[in-house]
Parts: sequence; C-alpha cells; structure tokens
Amino acid sequence: MTRPTYPIRLYPRSRLMSRTQAATARPGAMSRELARDRLGVPAVLFFVLAGVAPLTVAAGVIPIAYATTGLTGIPATFLVIAVILAIFSAGYVAMTRYIRNAGAFYAFISAGLGRVTGVAAALVALLAYSFLQIGLYGAFGPNAQAEAAAHLGVHAPWWAWALGAWALVAVLGLLRVDITGKVLGVLLTCELIVIVAQAAAGLARPAGGHLSFATLSPADLTSVGFGTFGVLAVVAVLGFVGFEQAPVLAEEAKRPRRTVPAATYTALGMIAVVYAGVSWAMAAHNGTGHVVAAAGRLGPGLLFGLAGSAFLSQAAQWLFLTSLFAAALAFHNAVWRYMFALGRENVLPAALGRTGGNNIPKTASLVQSATALAVITAYAIGGWAPMENLFFWFGTSGGLGIMILLAATSVAVIAFFARDPRGENPWRRLFAPALAALLLAGIVVLAVQHYAILLGIAPGDPAAWALPTSYAVVAAIGLGWGVVLKARRPQVYATVGLGAHAVTGQAAPAAPAEGELR
Amino acid sequence: MTPKARGQHAPAPRLAGTGQLADDLYLIAHHERTGKPLLAPRAVGLGLAGALLAELIMAGAIGIAVGTVAAGPFRSNDALAAGVIGQVTAEPQRYPVQDWLTVLARTVPQQVAGRLAEAGYLVPASGRPWRGQRWVPVDADCAFAPVTRICSAIGSARGDAQGVTLAALAAACGLGARLALYLPPGSRARLDQAAAWLDPSLREVITQTQAAVDAAVLAHRA
Repeated sequence: MTRPTYPIRLYPRSRLMSRTQAATARPGAMSRELARDRLGVPAVLFFVLAGVAPLTVAAGVIPIAYATTGLTGIPATFLVIAVILAIFSAGYVAMTRYIRNAGAFYAFISAGLGRVTGVAAALVALLAYSFLQIGLYGAFGPNAQAEAAAHLGVHAPWWAWALGAWALVAVLGLLRVDITGKVLGVLLTCELIVIVAQAAAGLARPAGGHLSFATLSPADLTSVGFGTFGVLAVVAVLGFVGFEQAPVLAEEAKRPRRTVPAATYTALGMIAVVYAGVSWAMAAHNGTGHVVAAAGRLGPGLLFGLAGSAFLSQAAQWLFLTSLFAAALAFHNAVWRYMFALGRENVLPAALGRTGGNNIPKTASLVQSATALAVITAYAIGGWAPMENLFFWFGTSGGLGIMILLAATSVAVIAFFARDPRGENPWRRLFAPALAALLLAGIVVLAVQHYAILLGIAPGDPAAWALPTSYAVVAAIGLGWGVVLKARRPQVYATVGLGAHAVTGQAAPAAPAEGELR
Repeated sequence: MTPKARGQHAPAPRLAGTGQLADDLYLIAHHERTGKPLLAPRAVGLGLAGALLAELIMAGAIGIAVGTVAAGPFRSNDALAAGVIGQVTAEPQRYPVQDWLTVLARTVPQQVAGRLAEAGYLVPASGRPWRGQRWVPVDADCAFAPVTRICSAIGSARGDAQGVTLAALAAACGLGARLALYLPPGSRARLDQAAAWLDPSLREVITQTQAAVDAAVLAHRA
C-alpha cells in the first residue's frame, strides 16, 4: 500500500500566529466558543463537595470511629488534616497544569517517579477506591434495614438491602448514569443544612450545661500515645476523600490556574469546619468522657439525636441513606473510570478499555459490580458485622490507601519539578510537597503500626496486618508488571498514566492559555 | 418510517453513497432503520467533527501543521465544508485539532444530517418536538452501505484511504463493537496496519478524535 499524499500548501507564515502570540490577538469566534460552558469556582466546588458525601461521614464514619478506636481527638484531627492536605495541595494543583489525566493519582506518580512506580500506584488506587466503594454497602444495609423495620414494617436482613442497593448501582453503572449535578446539589445542600443544624443544637445543649473545648485541643491528638494520631488521621482523611477530584475538571475550568486551587482550598476549609464542628458537638453534647460509650450504644444515632428534634432526626436518617447510595454510585463510577483508563493504556486487559453501545464501558462496570457482589455475599454467609467489619474496616483501609497515594504523590511532585521548575515558586514545587510527604508518610507508618486500634481489635488479629499488607501485595504486583511492560511492551509502557490521551501519546496538555478564556 | 415516506423519495440506485466521509460515518453511527444514535451524543458529535476535518484534509481544503489546523489552497462547493473552511480562515490564530473537535462537535451532527437529507438519504422523523430533531434513513440498505464499504476497504489489498479513514474514525468514536459484528476476525489488527499508512494529517485527526471520545467517556458531566 502506498502512502497517499495531499497537496497542502500552507499560507505564508505571517498569517499564522503561534498560540503564545495569540494572547495579544483580538479574540475571535473560536475563543468565545471554547470559553462557552466552562466551569467557574462554584461549579467545581459543588462537584468536589458532592463527591465528599458529608452525611456519610458525619453520621457513618465519625460515630463508629469514636466507638471503635475509643479516641476522642477526632475533632482536632480534622483541623490538623485539613492543614496537611492544604500543604499537599500547593504542589498537587501546581502540577495539575502540566500533566494529562489529572485527578488520577497514578498519573502524577507516573510523571514524577516513573512509570513502573506509576503502575504500582494505579493498582493501589484501584484497591483503595474499591475498598471505599464496597464498604458503603456495609452501612447502607443495616441502616436501610432499621428504617424499613421502623417505618415500613418490612423486615429483611441487612444484606438483602445491601444487595438491593448493589443491584441499583450495577444497573445505573451500566446505563452510565451519574446522579446529575442538580439532584446531587439538592442532596448536598440538605445534608449540610441537617449537619449544621444538628451540630448547632448539640453545642447549644452541652453535657452538664458547660461547653467543653477539650476535643478540639491538640493535647487530645496523642491522648493514648503519639501513635494514636496515625489512627485518628486515617479516619480524618477518610472524611476528606473526594477533595482530590478538583483537577479532574481542570480542562473544563474557566481559568484552571485559579479555579482549581480556589475550589480545592475552599472545599478543604468547608469540610474541616463542618466535620470538626459536628464531631465536637457530639463530644460536647454527650460529655467528652462519655462520647465513646454513647457512640457504641447509638451508632449513627449519635448524630441524629443531637438536636432532640424528631423531624430533624428523621430527615437526617433518610438523607443518610441517600448520601450512602450516592457515595456508592460515585465511587463505583470512580473505580470503573480507573479501570477504563488503565484498559485504554493496555496496562490492564484491553477489554476493560472497550466500550459497548452508547460508549458505555460495560466490562469495567461489571467487574466492579462482580467484586462488590462477592464481598457482600461473603459477609452475609460469614455472618460478620456489616457496620464494623465491612463499612468501617473497608472504609478506613480505603483511607489508608488514599494516604499512601497522597504521600507518594507529594514525592512525585518534588521529582517532577526537580527536572524542570517550569517557573513555579519553591514553596509549591519543593517545600510544601516535602513537608506534606514527611507528614503523610509519618502518618502512614504510625497508622500501620497501630492498625489494631484503628479497627478496634486485638493486636494479634489477622485483619490488623492483612488489610494494610494488601497494599504492599498489589504494589509489588504493580512494580513487577511495570518492569515486564518496560521490557516486553515498550509502546504500552510509554503511555502509562496518560489515560484518555494514551492514544495520542501527548504527555502534556497544550500550553496553558489563560488569556484566551476570558 | 412509513412505507409512504419511503415511496416519496428517490429510488435506491441513486443513493449509491454521497462519497463524503462525515455522511458515511453519520449513517454508521445511527440505526439503519430507526435512525436512533448508537453512540452517546457527545461521541457522535466528536466522531462527525473528526470525519468532517478528515474530509477537508482529503479535499486539500485544510491541513494540519504542528498539531494545529490551517487553511489549504482548495475550496469546496459543499455548503457545510465551505462553512468550516470559512471558520478556519476567519480565525486570527491557529487552533489545535482538539479545539476544533470540541467546537465543531456541538453543531456538526445536525448539519451533516441536513446535508444527508438534502441528498435524499434522510427524512425528518415525525412527532416528539420536545426531543429535538431526529432523522430516519429513507432506505435501510443504503444506510447500511457504508458498513459494507468498510468491509471491502479493510479487505482490499490496494488501499482505499477513504475507506480506511472511515473505519478508523468509526472505531475511534466507539463503533468498534458494531463493526466487529460484520467484519471477519483479525480485522482490527488489519485496520490498525492500514491506518498506519494514512497521511499524517489524517492519522492526527483519528488519534485526536479517539482521545476526545475517551476523555468524554471519562468526563464527569455528559
């Protein structure tokens, strides 16, 4: 076959300005068209906060964390973690502008620390988000069971409800349904109103008539030894998961350079205040010395009962269920996105990167649904406690995975800018990520050492080492696979971390063109 | 479509294909009888935008230099093509292929459908004014013909650049599974081999279309 050629004679150079020259040119119809439908800070912020699912954390994670760990430093930890994540974000959002597939940690790690490490990070991320997604069924099941028994007179075991939610997520996943911005926005607003109202009412009625600030004190962070901070930090990071998603929208933002950082920092601040406030209210309302016992007794009721209002409590309980479901669907979509991107890169089997009718990645979606079904079935047959052993264990294990990825991403940011500073200042490219890497790595080590406290089990229990070790195992598999790809399939290796852009092989987006998008 | 509507329009022999890439891709991307899209709306738009750019490259009306779209020396009599060339020449600067795909994808599906309707291949579907304009093929066999053209292009030894480009663009926007139903096994590998021999500008449009469609699958908003 001969290569056909076409007679292209381009216009003289004088007519053809480069992109950089264009910043000064009169914006034409094209730049107006490109700027259309771009997202501003409120839209990106909304997207990030909706992914965080605040009521899932306020009613689900916080009470069970009090009960399981027996630690009261949770409110202070939320504030400390927000600061650490803000330091982390300085380098993270700076690097966002220079890479493809931003929003996936392994893209940062591939670009900074090399593609072999990137493959390992991809598998760690896949496992972490899978833990987070499947764990949510462990909270949805028993809470739906309780609501249905109390109000609908329906008595079915927790796993029947969990399987119902699973089936709906599986179908919506196959139809490629994301809960739309408007629905999620209404849910998010209602969730925040309920949480703030409950917290304010709880603080207005403190135990013994005296408002205690003890749980907000830094002294409470290390109440049972320094190591407990690692445990608390994993719980707190679990609450923040979702904040890392703002860079996903970088290519759709009005001014990526400003929109993404502004949304990220605002989200961190809002999440920190809401979570610290509501967990402080729980401790203050029940008494710092009694909150652990109360959490064990009441579970999510620790939040619902704060205001003493039957209406608010009922609203919170229904919203808790919708929040859990929305989070399960959001994480389901996050997991298949990872699988699809890795399938497109041919790092995972190419079948995961194929789409069926209507461009729906059926295989990736079905694989995640099958995994979730297997876990729910195993818990139902094994008779294990869904709230503690599924929701909290899987949730915190997912949180640990995210923490590992945050630490590795910080190191990747340093390495990336060490090769070429690209005009970024030393705080963003070196000091902030170095500080974040040290703090986050320290937290990971402390958490792994005290994992039994985190899970609320005896130190010798197999779960205390098996769950953290699972990350080491997939990371080792990833490293091995990365080396194989490098040696045997260099064309695949070359595109690791590029996601949708694996096909073009273009590692960097077109030069940032701030001036064009006014 | 009603039998009456079919009778009103030109008989099949005249509908031997418009010879335009975007027209063929439109027909492959929609059901040959109902006219319903087989892809997500965004993927249809991106695929047709890519096909329109490829059409103009083959006509010598535009070229791609350093990843950006530039006007070439030739003009087109076709209104849709002339409109796009006008847009390219009117811009004070050159934009990357990706940007043109993004912008053209919003309007191209309706425009290509209009062009096909003018040529007698589609008629407007009746009813449902709130769902936007939908088009139905006049003749299901003619609507299916581009798939047959792809089969012969991939099977042919002497290279049919237009057929190969059409097949590669169809695969890029997510029609691979549909084509696989009609092609012999191993066609995908043969297509990739054949596409590697295409003009670099065409290859650039194909890979950028694929990347834009993949990114749309991964995008959080539809």
